[in-house]
Formats: sequence, C-alpha cells, structure tokens
Amino acid sequence: MHEQPEVIVESTDILIAGSGAAGMRAAIAGHDTGAKVVLLAKGPRRANHTRMSGGRYNAVSGANPKDTPEAFYRDTVESGMDINNHELARILAYEAMDRAYDLEAYGLAWDRTEVEKYYMSMTGGGTFVRTLGSIDEGIGITEVMLHQLHARNVRICDFHMLVDVIVGEDGRVAGALALDLSRGVWRFYRCPTVIIATGGTSQLYETSSGPAINTGDGIAIALRAGAELVDIEFMQFIPISFVYPPSARGYTLTEPAHYGMRHFDPNAEAAHLVNNQGERFVLKHDPVRKEGSTRDVLARAIMLEILEGRGTPEGGVLMLPDKQVFEAFLKERPTYIKRLLENYGEGQARLEAPIPVMPSALYTLGGVRIDAWCRSRVPGLYAAGEAAGGVHGANRLGGSSMPDIQVFGRRAGMAAAEEAKARGPVPEEAGIAQARARASALERGMHATDGVRPIEVKKRIQKLMWDHVGLVRSGPKMEETLQQFGEIRAQVLPALKITGKSRILNREWMESIELGNLLDIAEAMASASLLRKETRGAHYRTDFPDLDPQWTANVLVKRDGAALTVEKQAVVCAEAPQTQLDKHKAIA
Amino acid sequence: MSKQITVVAEVRRHDPSQPGEPHYQRFEVTGIDSMRVLDVIRSIYENQAGDLAYQFACRVGRCGTCAVKVNGVPVLACQEKCKPRMRIEPLTPFPVLRDLVVDRTEVEARYAALKLTPQRTSAHPGRPEPIEPAVAEKLCHYDLCLACMVCVSACPAVAERAFDGPAYMLKLRHMAAHPADSANRLDQALEAGMLECFNCDVCTQLCPADLSPAQAVRDFRKQMIFGGGKPA
Repeated sequence: MHEQPEVIVESTDILIAGSGAAGMRAAIAGHDTGAKVVLLAKGPRRANHTRMSGGRYNAVSGANPKDTPEAFYRDTVESGMDINNHELARILAYEAMDRAYDLEAYGLAWDRTEVEKYYMSMTGGGTFVRTLGSIDEGIGITEVMLHQLHARNVRICDFHMLVDVIVGEDGRVAGALALDLSRGVWRFYRCPTVIIATGGTSQLYETSSGPAINTGDGIAIALRAGAELVDIEFMQFIPISFVYPPSARGYTLTEPAHYGMRHFDPNAEAAHLVNNQGERFVLKHDPVRKEGSTRDVLARAIMLEILEGRGTPEGGVLMLPDKQVFEAFLKERPTYIKRLLENYGEGQARLEAPIPVMPSALYTLGGVRIDAWCRSRVPGLYAAGEAAGGVHGANRLGGSSMPDIQVFGRRAGMAAAEEAKARGPVPEEAGIAQARARASALERGMHATDGVRPIEVKKRIQKLMWDHVGLVRSGPKMEETLQQFGEIRAQVLPALKITGKSRILNREWMESIELGNLLDIAEAMASASLLRKETRGAHYRTDFPDLDPQWTANVLVKRDGAALTVEKQAVVCAEAPQTQLDKHKAIA
Repeated sequence: MSKQITVVAEVRRHDPSQPGEPHYQRFEVTGIDSMRVLDVIRSIYENQAGDLAYQFACRVGRCGTCAVKVNGVPVLACQEKCKPRMRIEPLTPFPVLRDLVVDRTEVEARYAALKLTPQRTSAHPGRPEPIEPAVAEKLCHYDLCLACMVCVSACPAVAERAFDGPAYMLKLRHMAAHPADSANRLDQALEAGMLECFNCDVCTQLCPADLSPAQAVRDFRKQMIFGGGKPA
C-alpha cells in the first residue's frame, strides 16, 4: 500500500474554478459583495476560452430605437428553438448592456464611430444590428478583467486543477479538492460555496476550436456532486474554421470573411460556400437564408459534403469571400487578417482567393442546470458561463457567449457571497476525509508502470464523439458508441500508464484525471442524444430528421453513483417579469 | 501544402525536484513543412517522450502561454514555423518549473504592483464613456498585448540593467493613454527603469501581437522632455 498523500487545507468563502471571463466576473462580484475569494486556473491564468473569442458582444445599447431587450430575448429563444430556460434568456437580454458598461469601466474600449457612440455590427442569427466589439477581442476582455482581480488582490492559483467538489453529510458543499499541478501537491479548500466556471467540453472532439484545457472538468465534477445537467446533447459546431496547418485546424474563422457585407447590412448576402464540384450546396439545406443561415444548418451542410466525398483533399470546402470588405476588416479585425495570411497566404488574407473551411466543435450549449442566480440543485454549488446550460437552448446566437459570461458570472459571484455570509464557516473536519480518499485513489495512477497512455484513450474518445455524437448522429451508432465508452470505462481507465514519475507538471497524470471527466460527459451527451428522438438546432439525427413538437422539452441528466439517468422534462417557460428583474438588481 | 519535412529538435530537459543537471535530448519529428514549433513539441510528447513538460492552451497565438526559445530567440511556439534544426529551451530569465515551462509568479506580481486599471476620479457614466474613436482604437491595440514575455526575454537592457522590461512599459503607456486614468504613469515607468531601455527595437521586431513596446518608451521619453498630458 502507498501511504496517504498529504493534503494541504485552507479556507475561503467562495472557491471559483476557471480563469475565463465567467470565473473572473464571479470573482469580482464575490469580492465586491464582501466575500473572500480564491480562483483556480488549470493552466496559467491567461489560458482560457474567453481569450480565444472574437469578443463580439450582443447588447441592446439604445443606439437603434427599434431594438429592445425583449427583441433580443425573442431572438435568443427563437435561435434556441424554444427550449431555452426562458427566465435565463430574458436575464441575458435585459442585463447584457449594463455588463458591457462594466467592462468599459474596467478599461475596455468598445469600438466607436463617435465619441459617445459605439460601432455596432451583425452576427449570426439576430434580427437587429446589436453587436458591440473591440479590436482587442477576447484578449482585451480578459486583460482588463485580470487587472481588476489584481487590483482587488484576489488570490489566483495558476496550474490548479479542480478535481472534485466535496459535499458534506448535510448535503451541502463542504469544500473542494484540487491538484496543484505545478508542485504535485493536493489542496483541500474548505468553503461553503464553489462556482464552476471551467468552460465547455470541446476537447471531446477530434477537431475543436477551444483551448486544450476545455475537457469539461467542472461539468463532470458537478454531475458527480449531485447536480443535474440540462441540454447536454447540444454541442455547437462552428461552420467556418481553419483546415490547416495542424496547430490551427479547427480554429474559428467566423465571421468577418463569412459574413462579408452582411456584417453591415442584414439584407446582404454572406460569402458563398462551394464544394469540390463548385456547387453552392447550402441552397439544398436553406434556400431562403442561404449562406446567412444559422450555425447549426451551415455546419451540418458542410459536414455532409465532406462525409459524402465532395470536400477538398485536406478535408474542407471552399468559401468565396467578398473582397470589398477587406479594408474594413483590416482596420476592425487586424488579427483575423493576420491569421489568414500566416495560415493560408496573401490571396486569402486579401479576401481575393477561395478560403478552405471546415466545421469544428465550438461551444457546449448544455451544462449544469442552474436557476436565475446560477445555483445548481446542490446547496452551495454554482455554475456560470459555458459550464452552465439553459441560456441558449438548442443553438446559440453569435455574439451571445460574451454577455452570458458577464451577466451570469456576476450573478454567481453575488449569490455565492450572500450564501457564504448567511451560512458562515464550514465545520473544521467536514469533507476532509472524503477529499483524502479521493486524492489517495488518484495517486494510484502515478504508480502504474504498464498500460495505455492517456493521450491514446483521449484520441479514441475524440474520434468516437466526432464520428457518432457530433454533427451527424443516429440511434444505432450512438448505442454502439455507448457500449464502447462502457468498455473504456471498465477495461481501459483502470489500466492507464503514466510514463514519468515527476510530480511537477506531469501532463499524463493531468490527462488521466481529465479522461474520467471526458468520459463522464461523453456518456451523458450520447445518452441524452439517444433519448432525443428528433432533430433540433445543433442536434441532428439521420433516423429522426424532423423537428418534433413533442420534443419542445429538455433532457435532464443525473447521476446516482455510477448510474446515469436521463429524463425528459418540460421547458421552464416562466417568464421573469420586469419587476422580478428589478428585484434581482436590488439585491446587488 | 502537404510537403513533408523531418526536423531535428534538441529539447532542454530539467526537473528541479530531482537530482541531475539540465541536459538536451534529441528528437526527430516528421510532419508537413508548414508545421509550427508547437506541432513538433506536441508530436514529441505524443509519440516519443510522455514525460515531457510543456505548456500551451489556445495554439493560435492568443493565450501567450507557449513561449519558448528556439535557437536562442524567444518566440511563441504555436506561431513560429519549425526549422530543420532546432534547440528548444524554456524562456529566460524566468525560473523553470520543469523542462519547457517557466514560473510566472513574479511576472504577475509585477503586473499587479503597477495597478493597471484606470485610476478613476469619477465613476464610469453608465453610458458610452466619452473616448475619441482614434483613442479607443489605440487603447485596443495596447490591450492586445499577450503578456507572453517574449519581449522581456529578448531585451538586452533587462539582461544588463535595472529594467523591468518592455511589456510593462507598453501596459503603462496603455493606462497613460486612457482618458479616465489619473495616475502618474510616467513616474511609474521611470521607477520601472524606463531610461535603461537601449531603444534597440528588438521587442518590436519579435512581438507576436505586432506591438511596439519601444515606441511606448519613446512616447514616455517625449512626455518627460516636452511634457504634455494624455496623448492623442
């Protein structure tokens, strides 16, 4: 037997996992509401998904008197195909603009046409021009927020991976176990509240747009701790991403070149997409909106062309950009033009030559089921941002993830601070034994000398998800896939090998822990997808290719020990009336 | 695009928690000729050295966490095209955690000490803050700094003198340019060793975000000599 690993214990009011904008916004709000906050980043703090975003931000600024928060809310629910949690969608629409001003207060400078007039543009799916932006994109958003955390002296723990949330005997959060990857040391944070802001799970797929750290850790951890997942069958694929070089494969190319003049005028045409026969194949799928269709329709249309052998040799299709927007984008999105130049060449960068594109896993639409204040059903456990589900439903508007993480990050931080204050400190011994036992179990992998490398298993899961639980799904294939996941869980996971024995930044050790999370979410996604016998938004089944009104409902996933249950449930339609929202604001 | 190339990479290996001196391990990697240094490192990890410590997240030049030295020059591994022969080392002069990963604790402490938030005398108005469009554009460009530390690693003044480094000058200039900031950023720049900069422009040449910290230093020097408040 190996001896018990040492677990260093410390206390806080709120523990936040995730250093993207949702986590940082929660930290700011939690701190400003009077709580002691510790924020964990799995990598260096700047390694997060927000950083990679184009930073487009939907909000009703008042610049267009015809647009209203109500219209934004309706667009959100229409895009989500009526299965959004309507209350969350409404909160997003009504609070987005105030949070955009917060970002400006932090130091971000939204693009302007005049001293006090923002530059607005259009993104996928909206009916009004209501998208703010800034040249510094997601990089700028994360930088100004990070400096706000520095100013507040919030403790940020780089290279700290959340491993599990520990629930005490009273059914409430008692703390969380984390592994300090940079030292190979276990830490138990004794705390009454934990906020999951670990982002999505795009690493479940062979080709993805997000950062390597997005392995769905927080979502799996919340599920294990007793929270429910909602809409987890919906994975958003970006239709337009780079095909090569290998390091950039899957990185998003949306939306400047794709939207072309449509960026400025909702009636303009988007860039044409053609297969290797020169056909505009999107017309078969959406003759009305054509290439200006929603992301789900475009991604599926492109994937079907590739699967049916009408793609380019590198595995994509061709986008024919409109060169008249080049000057505008060179000024507005210089980074974007630079990437085109480096990866493809001058013709593509000048928007004169055809641009090879392919779909890529972008955004986890589902996640931890939350209420208006980001509470899961486990007292003390919160989730916000991409790790949470319900805001966007079956499909997300382009430009809506940025306001989501600001609006709900803040709500999570405020509510957790209030709860921590009301509940007081967690008893000294609560949860520590469970944390020690879990750490001890995860130490075992470090001693295995023979077996399968985690990276090989990860690639196997990624291929299964891409092929069968991705853009194109069918019942029989998903059943087979679930069976294979079961085999991986039973036979492969216990036989993982970790090559090196150093405790410092042992990537294979980290990957072996990530694998458990990836597999948990892969099974949840496949099971939920199997239950939803229809096609809706990002979820497309070849055996049920039509929308079924009976399925204007959500799928909930729960876990009881090792057993996963999936069930259908009615959509939360209770609209939050304006007065209710005002009350929420008053709590601030 | 699918021309193949075989590259030789010598990777610096060192685990400070274990006995033993730093050494270089030689690997050969074959892939398409447009592959980046990060593609080579990932291939080494996936196929030859499962115990290699390296860092990356976004792989597209945005998180700024994969910076290493290739043949003595600091670069972002994800953006730098591979070379036929490469010596890959962790970024100097930072403490090494293991192999290619450095400890950025002190870097973050320096950023924090500079208080890089607008020091406001009045609160944000809760509507678009008055900022000239050209100034907003300039602020955004400053805000594209990845904090990757490529410029600090390359800077000869950092190596020889009491100079925090180009990246910090750029962020101080960012705040100096912000119309709502009331702090004396010139004094902060002087305290951080601004006058020690040689004006060699190496930082500008190597910046993965195409920024010019050297220009930020020149702007501060101009302000010091000729005065002037917020730059246009």
